[in-house]
Amino acid sequence: MPKNHGLRILIATVRVPFVHGGAEIHAEGLCRALRAAGHQAEIIAIPFKWYPPERILDQMLACRLLDLSETVGVAVDRLIGLKFPAYLIPHPRKVIWLLHQHRQAYDLWQHPLNDLHRYPNGDEVRAAIHRADCELIPQALHVFANSRNVAGRLQTFCGFDAAPLYHPPQDAARFYTLPAEDFLYFPSRINPLKRQDLVLAALAQTRLPVRIYFSGSTDEVAFERKCVALAQKKGCADRVQWWGPVSEEKKRDLYARSLGVLFPPIDEDYGYITLEAMLAKKPVITCTDSGGPLEFVIDHQTGIVADPTPEALAAAMDGLWEDRERVRQWGDAGRQRYSDLRIGWDHVVEKLLA
Amino acid sequence: MKVLVVTSGVPFIRGGAEILADNLCQALSAAGHAAELIFIPFKHYPPNRIPDHMLACRLLDLTETCGVRIDRVIGLKFPAYLIPHPNKVIWLLHQHRTAYELWDHPMAGDLIHHPDGPVVREAIRQADCELIPEAKAVYTLSENVSNRLRRFCGIAGEPLYNPPAHASQFYNSSAGGYFFFPSRVTGVKRQLLAIEALARCRERTLVRFAGEADSPRELAVCINAIRQLKVEDRVEWLGMVPEEQKRDLYANCLAVIFPPVDEDYGYITLEAMLSSKPVITCSDSGGPLEFVVDRKTGLVASPTPESLAQAMDALWVDRRCGAAMGEAGRARYEDLKISWKNVVEKLLC
Amino acid sequence: MLKINWFSPLPPARSGIAHFAMQVLPLLAKRREVALWTDQDQVSPEVQRIARVTRYTPDDPPWRKINDGAISIYHLGNQPDLHGGIWQVSVRQPGIVVLHDLCLHDFFFMLWVHYKKDRVSYLAALERWYGEEGRQAGQAFCAGGIGAESMAQRFPLTREAVQGALGVITHSRGALEGLGEAPGCPVAALDFPYAAAAESRYREWMAARSAEPRPPYRLVVFGYLSRNRRLGAVLEALAGFSAREQFRLEICGQLWDEANTRTQIERLGLSSLVKLRGFLPESLVEQKLSTADLAINLRYPSMGEASLSQLQFWDYGLPTLVTRTGWYASLPEDATAFVRPEHEVEDIQSHLRAFLADPGAFRAMGERGRQALENNDPEKYVDAMTQFAAMALRRSPLVPAMALAGRVGNDLSAWLHPAASAYLLDRASQEIVTIWPGKPRGYP
Repeated sequence: MPKNHGLRILIATVRVPFVHGGAEIHAEGLCRALRAAGHQAEIIAIPFKWYPPERILDQMLACRLLDLSETVGVAVDRLIGLKFPAYLIPHPRKVIWLLHQHRQAYDLWQHPLNDLHRYPNGDEVRAAIHRADCELIPQALHVFANSRNVAGRLQTFCGFDAAPLYHPPQDAARFYTLPAEDFLYFPSRINPLKRQDLVLAALAQTRLPVRIYFSGSTDEVAFERKCVALAQKKGCADRVQWWGPVSEEKKRDLYARSLGVLFPPIDEDYGYITLEAMLAKKPVITCTDSGGPLEFVIDHQTGIVADPTPEALAAAMDGLWEDRERVRQWGDAGRQRYSDLRIGWDHVVEKLLA
Repeated sequence: MKVLVVTSGVPFIRGGAEILADNLCQALSAAGHAAELIFIPFKHYPPNRIPDHMLACRLLDLTETCGVRIDRVIGLKFPAYLIPHPNKVIWLLHQHRTAYELWDHPMAGDLIHHPDGPVVREAIRQADCELIPEAKAVYTLSENVSNRLRRFCGIAGEPLYNPPAHASQFYNSSAGGYFFFPSRVTGVKRQLLAIEALARCRERTLVRFAGEADSPRELAVCINAIRQLKVEDRVEWLGMVPEEQKRDLYANCLAVIFPPVDEDYGYITLEAMLSSKPVITCSDSGGPLEFVVDRKTGLVASPTPESLAQAMDALWVDRRCGAAMGEAGRARYEDLKISWKNVVEKLLC
Repeated sequence: MLKINWFSPLPPARSGIAHFAMQVLPLLAKRREVALWTDQDQVSPEVQRIARVTRYTPDDPPWRKINDGAISIYHLGNQPDLHGGIWQVSVRQPGIVVLHDLCLHDFFFMLWVHYKKDRVSYLAALERWYGEEGRQAGQAFCAGGIGAESMAQRFPLTREAVQGALGVITHSRGALEGLGEAPGCPVAALDFPYAAAAESRYREWMAARSAEPRPPYRLVVFGYLSRNRRLGAVLEALAGFSAREQFRLEICGQLWDEANTRTQIERLGLSSLVKLRGFLPESLVEQKLSTADLAINLRYPSMGEASLSQLQFWDYGLPTLVTRTGWYASLPEDATAFVRPEHEVEDIQSHLRAFLADPGAFRAMGERGRQALENNDPEKYVDAMTQFAAMALRRSPLVPAMALAGRVGNDLSAWLHPAASAYLLDRASQEIVTIWPGKPRGYP
């Protein structure tokens, strides 16, 4: 085995042309971290179109046909596979760091927002994805998962274990804290899975004059309109501010000045927002079915884990609004927890190249 | 328009093709389009891996993304230009060369060393003939590339020239007392030929060589020749120089020497023209011959030390002639309308 | 100009194929650039005058030099010391295979089991083409429980020799299909090349013969006389023929069992009619053939190969008795006297009777045989061979295409759910056919 220094590493992921999201940021963060550690690293991003379903099968085969074992006669020491179907690319020294499997074939199967099950061949493609994952993921040297949530899904569907491996959000070092002002912050892409509508329903039921800042780009225009209308209808529109997409600096500023962070998505894979809040020393309000955030938020220690109902969320928001001292303590505890979890790129690089 | 530029190559290596692909994306963005680069990794050995990568490309779907149509795909290299798309345009930088003109090249030939080589070569050629015509239009890097495409596949491709990097920053200054030979130091660029020519010059010509050697061996070959021929005092060996210094060296030289073997294109020729300098090249140099007009914008010598020496002597002695040729070269560059704007227009029409 | 690599036994190798090569190569070298390849220790100077000869070691062929040629032609036959190296190269690089023997069981047995002590490959090959039955028979054969002839007939292993070839040339129409050994690639059945003697020489021979055939009529049998040459039946037929005194029989060639034959001749009382000449040198062959009246060229069983000796008999305008089987069965009716395998004695006697009744008719038959040799013009052979090679070259991408399909099938079987395999296998093969349709559009 070569010494863990100056290795040649390829990161295999997918890209959806003209869509730049969390997965790209993750791959880029990993690439930077590997280079900072003295290795040669490059991202191989395979274009992925998942509809109609048979296209998925085509692209799985396309990945299997690629040869990344060496370049110009020199071995590629590691292939780090991040996303389906790129992690199917064969390699003798492959490490998989699963961001998530193809969720439409797993936990999102038959979800109203999913369309795979609506196609006549949806079933057989789903079966094919399951089988391929179960046969091929274990061929990797090591399998890591983005979070315990993702690892849990792998265990449920394929029956084997992956170790959770956390990584920091983008520009983790740039987050900072300021004295809390009178607003809760909900920074996230606006889409139904993030449940901005649930939060607005809760806002309408708060005892106290809680205010919420929303920021982030819209994934679904119809949903955003629905949320705005809901706020109007419930009479809490005056306590809501829609910032839309903001710059990274502005985002960090809003985190720093917020009282606390709202992030109650449904079954989130990971959740950079939770970590960003912890870095900014702010407590997090999340829900019992939120997935990823639950690996970080400790109820009534670093935030509140509420039932996914307007009533419970309203109570949580009131709770933060009225007890500023507790908010400060929880924020500090959250920052401490972040350190305790050793969430850093050094740690990631160490694990992936072990 | 939403445009995808698709190319293939070897991971960890960033060469001319990669730079050109990036420049194309930038030019497309500058023209107001949404452009992204798709890079397909390609391992071309052993030979039977090639058909695998060809099939992989054929299985990709770039027709739309999240319900939004991708208006155009521009394919640059094999096998990426095989990716199917109803609105594909190929701007052929080159085909898989070791299946074509480099088949039996003493250094570059690779398929020819393998028992599977011949059938894979035939497979590549037939696939090119069959599938390149799927594109709505076929452009090429140069006439040289077009000729090969026509000869081997019977397909017509229109040359579409692109400017060298930082084209606007090349300039002309006084013609100093040296010839400039900027290029990667390797056999096919023929620094050796220029060194041998230098030894045969009547005049006390001086040559400044700039550029990085492909390998220590290549460098050694040149240095040894300089010593053997006792022309140390007529040669300045600069190695790798920063871009700005390179432009200065262009600006102040008497003429540029660029006599590669069968070059596909040759940015150096264009850089020389942008600097208003005559170019000395050879009759078998390929790409440069599309730009250099013999005795108007430069001199086309035979690929022998004697002929090259004659050309060098001629320009060394007649400075006015050289200056006039340089101006003519600059004018010719303008006439050829070599610009990214033109490239984008053609590729998207 | 299509440069051809040629792999075959070459003089001084003692092989009919070396002789064949010397007939064909000069003509081939006129049309194409030819590179000759050999693993023999020696090659005669006459060969070097035709084309450049390069030595190779079968374990490590010089691919760089070989690939200067556009396509390779491999000549395979039953002798492993002459064809083993050639076959080894053909496995690594597909080309045209010319089958000089259609049944190659002995070749593979000797090559693997006898020379390389590799029983595993031998048995694996038998299983590959003939299933469990083949494997078990192979085991029994190794143990000495089955005869070689029986193995050869039941398990010719021809497909083992031609798998992956770009094309196969045989000298016998329908032979491979008849054996059940048709390969996946195109097969061309070409008339065996034979340069007939010049007309002037033929007329000399005819002149040396008497104007009319006169008794005693001379019967000849030629060649390496193994059991399938049916000598026993010939002697029986002659012995039982009432007018046998009208004939004399000369047996020219090495006998597989001389003692037995002599005994039989004695026993049948044929000593005055039958002479054993043994192996004849070239100089005497001409004399014998030009003065004979009827050749007897029976073979049973036959593996389907063409017979060079038959063409030689026709060169001399000799009427011939042949067994109606294999390649012989395809000979023109009016130039051949057929003998049914199950009625050998009866048919031989019937022909002898017919000969006595009208010897002129048989002489005419012999002349028609001579005319039939036009089909065997070596120029025609070389033309057909080069055309076939050019066609095979155009088809050659099918080799990597098929290999790719195989790799895809293999990989998919490891992880693809059965519910999806119909779709994906079909998709992959469709796309492979799209890339390499076999008839490239606009291909210059």
